[in-house]
Amino acid sequence: MKKKLIFPLLLLVCIAPEVWADSFERDRNAMVRSQIRARGIRDHATLEAMRSVPRHLYVPAAQMRFAYHDRPLPIGYGQTISQPYIVAYMTEIIRPKPDHKVLEIGTGSGYQAAILAEIIDQVYTIEIIRPLGDQARRKLEAQYNNVHVKIADGYYGWEEHAPFDAIVVTAAAEYIPPPLVEQLKAGGRMIIPVGSPFQMQHLMLVEKKEDGEITTRSLMPVRFVPFDRAD
Amino acid sequence: MNATPEHAGTRLIVSLALHSAAIIAFQLALMQLISIVQWHHFAYMIISVAMLGFGASGTLLALAREKLLANSDWLVPLLMTISGLCMMGAFPITRIGFFQFDVYLLFVESSQFPVLAANYLIYFVPFFTGALAIGILFIKHTRKIGTYYFSNLLGSGIGGLLVLFVFGNIYPQLVPPLAGLFSVIAGLLGIGRKYYRLHLVIGILAIATATVLIRQPGSIPISQYKSLAQAMNLPGAKVIYSNPDIHGLIEVVSSPALRFAPALSLSFTGEVPVKKNIFVNGNFYGVIPQYSYEQTTHILDYTTQALPWAIQEGKTILLINAGEGAPLAHTFSRQPTHVDAIIPNAGVVKMMKTEFAEESGGLFLHDDLQIHTKEARNFLASVSRKSYDLILLPQQDAFGGTAGINALQENYTMTLESFSLMWEHLNPDGLISVSTWTDYPSRTTLKLLTTLVQTLYDKGITEPEQYIAAVRSWGTITFVLKKTPLTEQETKKIRAFSNELFFDPMLLPDIRAEERQRYNMAEDEDFFSYVDKIMAGDRRFVEEYGFMIQPARDDKPYFSQFLKLKNIRRMAEIFGGGQVPFLELGYLIVLVTLVQSVFLALLFIILPLLRLRKSRQGKGGTLLYFGALGIGYMFVEIILIQRFVLYFGHPVYAISAVISTMLVASGVGSLISGKLPAIPRSPTIIGLLIGIMLLGYTFLLTSVLQWTIAITLPLKIIISFLLIGIPSFFKGMMFPLGIRFISEYDVSQTPWAWGINGSFSVISTSLAMLIAVESGFMVVMAVAVSCYLIASAVFIFHRKIFRQNPKPQSIH
Repeated sequence: MKKKLIFPLLLLVCIAPEVWADSFERDRNAMVRSQIRARGIRDHATLEAMRSVPRHLYVPAAQMRFAYHDRPLPIGYGQTISQPYIVAYMTEIIRPKPDHKVLEIGTGSGYQAAILAEIIDQVYTIEIIRPLGDQARRKLEAQYNNVHVKIADGYYGWEEHAPFDAIVVTAAAEYIPPPLVEQLKAGGRMIIPVGSPFQMQHLMLVEKKEDGEITTRSLMPVRFVPFDRAD
Repeated sequence: MNATPEHAGTRLIVSLALHSAAIIAFQLALMQLISIVQWHHFAYMIISVAMLGFGASGTLLALAREKLLANSDWLVPLLMTISGLCMMGAFPITRIGFFQFDVYLLFVESSQFPVLAANYLIYFVPFFTGALAIGILFIKHTRKIGTYYFSNLLGSGIGGLLVLFVFGNIYPQLVPPLAGLFSVIAGLLGIGRKYYRLHLVIGILAIATATVLIRQPGSIPISQYKSLAQAMNLPGAKVIYSNPDIHGLIEVVSSPALRFAPALSLSFTGEVPVKKNIFVNGNFYGVIPQYSYEQTTHILDYTTQALPWAIQEGKTILLINAGEGAPLAHTFSRQPTHVDAIIPNAGVVKMMKTEFAEESGGLFLHDDLQIHTKEARNFLASVSRKSYDLILLPQQDAFGGTAGINALQENYTMTLESFSLMWEHLNPDGLISVSTWTDYPSRTTLKLLTTLVQTLYDKGITEPEQYIAAVRSWGTITFVLKKTPLTEQETKKIRAFSNELFFDPMLLPDIRAEERQRYNMAEDEDFFSYVDKIMAGDRRFVEEYGFMIQPARDDKPYFSQFLKLKNIRRMAEIFGGGQVPFLELGYLIVLVTLVQSVFLALLFIILPLLRLRKSRQGKGGTLLYFGALGIGYMFVEIILIQRFVLYFGHPVYAISAVISTMLVASGVGSLISGKLPAIPRSPTIIGLLIGIMLLGYTFLLTSVLQWTIAITLPLKIIISFLLIGIPSFFKGMMFPLGIRFISEYDVSQTPWAWGINGSFSVISTSLAMLIAVESGFMVVMAVAVSCYLIASAVFIFHRKIFRQNPKPQSIH
C-alpha cells in the first residue's frame, strides 16, 4: 500500500511547482488582459513588463493567492503593494525608455522597481523602512543587475546619480521634497500617488518645463462617471 | 428569599454600587484603549456587542430564574469576581497573537472575521457575568428594587466620574486591572461567611494579578495603519514624551525623517525643517514648532494657508483649534498685536508651556497670546465685544482623505450658526480663512463652499462672488471670506501670490476660466462647474449632488458626514464595492453596529419568550414599557451631552456633568419611588410628566442655554444641575415602578424586562446617532418624548394590555 502511494506523491512533488507556475502565469496574463489593457494601458513595454514580472513573488506568502487580484495588498509596516493597474499606469505615464535613468522613492515590496527594471537601463530605488528595503533588495538583486537599492530617507533623493529622467514616488507624502524637484531633469516627469492605504488611489503628475516652471496634473486613473446626480 | 438580614442587605447594596462603578470604569477604559489601538467608532462597535451582555444576562435569568435565585447567595459574589478577573484579562488577551485584530484589514483579509468574533467574545464575558450578578440582585429583591437600582445608578455615576479623573493621571491600560479589582472586592463584600475562604483565595489571586498588570502594563499595540505606527517605522524614531491626559494619550515622537510642510509650493527650494510630531491616541495631532521672536518667515508662507496674509496684514487674530504649534508660529511670524488661540486640549497646552517651552521658543508663553482651552463656539458666545482682523480655522480633511472616520464627530465650529457668530466678531474689513486638502470625489471642498455662500445669504448678501476668494495648489485649497467686498487691489495681490507660488486662483470677483488651471490641472473636469453652480446659488445641484454637501447646522453638526444612504448602491457601481467602505467608513461602521446590535438584541429578547410561553399575558406591554424606557433614557442622555458641550465649551465637562447628574438624580428618584404605591397610576402620571417636561426641552433648552452661556461657572453648574437633574429624578422612578408592577403581575417576566431594558439601551446609542445625522437632534428628542408617552400609555391601557387586573403574587 505504501509503495503504491510513493509514485503519485513523487509525481505530485515534481509537477506541483510547474502547475503552480502555470497557474500564476495564467493569472498574470488574465490580469494584464482584464485589468490593465481593458482600462486603456497601451504602452507595449509596460504591458510586456507586467506580463513578465511574477507579482506573487513580491507579496507576503499569506497574500500570494490574491497577488493578481485587482486591488492593493498589505505587505506589513502599514505599507501596501499597489493595485496592478496603478503600477502599470504609473509606469506608462512616465513614458519610460531603455536609456532612461529613473529614481523610485519607496521601494516597498520591490514590484514597481522590478517592472521598471524590465524596461529601463538604470533604476535607483530608495526605501526608508529597513526590513522592507532589505527584503526587496534580496529579491531584486537576485533577478536584476540594473536596480540599485538604498535604504535611506527618500527626502534627499539620490544626488550622485541625478538628474533623473523620471521619478516615481510610490509612497504618498504630504509634501514633495524640494531635492526631488531639483533632481528631476528639465522636461522630466514625476508621478506621485495620493490616497490612504487600500483606498482608490489617484495620482499626480509633476512636470518640470525647460524654463524651470513646475506644473501639476491630477490624474484619474480610471475615468469615472461624474458623481453629481443622485439618480 | 427577600428576608435578607439587614446587615447582609446593606453589604449587598454597597457591593452592588462598587461592582457597578467597576463596570462603567471598565467600559470607559476599554473605549479609550480600543480608540488608541484602532479608532473610536470601531471601539464603539466592539463595546456595543459587549454591552449586550446585559441583554443576554436577562435571557439567562428568564430561562433559569429559579436555579439562579436559589443559588444567588454564592453565585452573585462569584459572578462579580469572575467579571472582575475577566476585566483584568480581556485587553491583555487581545494583544496576543491570533487575537490581534486590525479593522483596516477587515475589508481585505477574510481571516480577520474570526479574530473579530473572538474579540467580541473576550469583551462580552466580563459584561455578561457582571450584568448577570446585577440582574439576579434586582430580580431577587424586586420589592426593594428602588434601593438596589439606586445603588446601581449611584455606583455607575461615581465610577464614571472617577475614571474621567483617573484618565488625566494614569495610563489607560492600568484602568481595567483596577476596575477588575473593584469588582473582586465587591464580590468579597457580598459573600456570606459560608464561602468566605474560597473567595479569599480568589481575592488574593485577583490582587496578585492586578498588581502584576499594574506594575507591568505593557505597551498598547496600535494598528500599523495609524499615524503613530507609521512614524515609528522611520529611522531613529522614538517616543520622547508620553503623558496620559483626559483628552487622550499624548505622545511626542522625534525622528530625523519627520518633516512638516503640508502641500508645500513646488517653487520652494529651501530645506523643509525636521519637526517632532505630537500624537493623541495614536493619531497625528500637530508638530512642536521651533519659534523665535525675531522670526518673520515660516514654511507655511509657501502653502495656500498664507492666502489671508497675502490680502492684508491682520493685527488681531483669532486662531481656532490651533492645537498644533505650526499655525501659531506662522501667525506670530507676521507680528500681530494680539492673538486669541482656542486650543481645547489642555494637556497639549500644558506640555508646550513646560516640557517643550524652550524648544518652541516660548511660543505658548508669548506676551501677545491668550490661550483658551475650550470649544470655539463657547468662547465666541462668551466674548461678545471682541472683534478680529482675521479668524483662522483649522485645516479640514486630511492628506489622502480620512476615509470618513470623522463622519459622526460633532463639530460645532463648522456649522452655519458658528460661521454667523464668527462673522459678527470680524472687524469691518476682517477675514475668515479656512483651508482643506483637496479630495476626490469632491466633498469637503464643496461643503465648505456651500457653508460660506449660505453664511453670506443669511447675512442678506446676494453676490457671494464679491466676498469669497479661493486659491488652489496641487494639494490644498484655501478659502477666504471677507466682511466687505474684495477690492481690485486685493484681487491683484491674490493673483501675484498665486503666480509666485505656482498656485491657481479658484474664486475671485473677476475670475477667468483660463487662470484656474494654469499650474495645477484638476482631476475632475466637472469640479469648476460644481463650484460655479454653488456660487450661483443652485440649490437643486446641492440637493442632488451624490454626497451630502448641504451646510451643517447646530441641530446636525456633522460637517464631515457626506454619505447619503440612498446612494450607497450607486457609489458601489461607480467606485467599486470594495472602495465604498474606504470612502465613508465611519458612517458604515455605525450602521453595522446598529444592525448587529438589533440582531443580537432581538435574539436576547425573543429567546426568553420561548420560556415565557406559559406565562400570563401582557408580554407586549412589558416589551413596550421597558423598551421605551431603554431608548428614552439614552436618547435624552445623548441630547443633553450634545447641548451641554456647547454650554460648557468642553466635551469632558459636559459628559461628566450630564452623566453624573443624570445617574445620581435618577438614583435618588429610584430610591424615592419605593415610597410610591406600585399601582398603574404611578408610572402613568410620572411618564406623562416626563413627556411634557421633555417636550418643553425640545423647544426651549437651546434658548435657555444660549441666554445663560456667558454667566459665571457656579451659576452655570446650578442651572445645569436643575436642567439635567429634575427630569432625571423622575426618569429614575420609571424602571423600579415598572419592575414592581410586573413582579406582582407575573414574576417570570421580570428578568425579561431587565434584558429588554439593557438591549434597547445599547441599540439606542447607535440609533440616536443615525437619527441625529439623518434628521437632527430635534427629532431624537421628539422620539425620546414619544418613548416616555408610550411607557405612560402602557399603564393607561393596562387593563387591555395585561388583560386582567394585576393580582399580587408570591414573588419567590
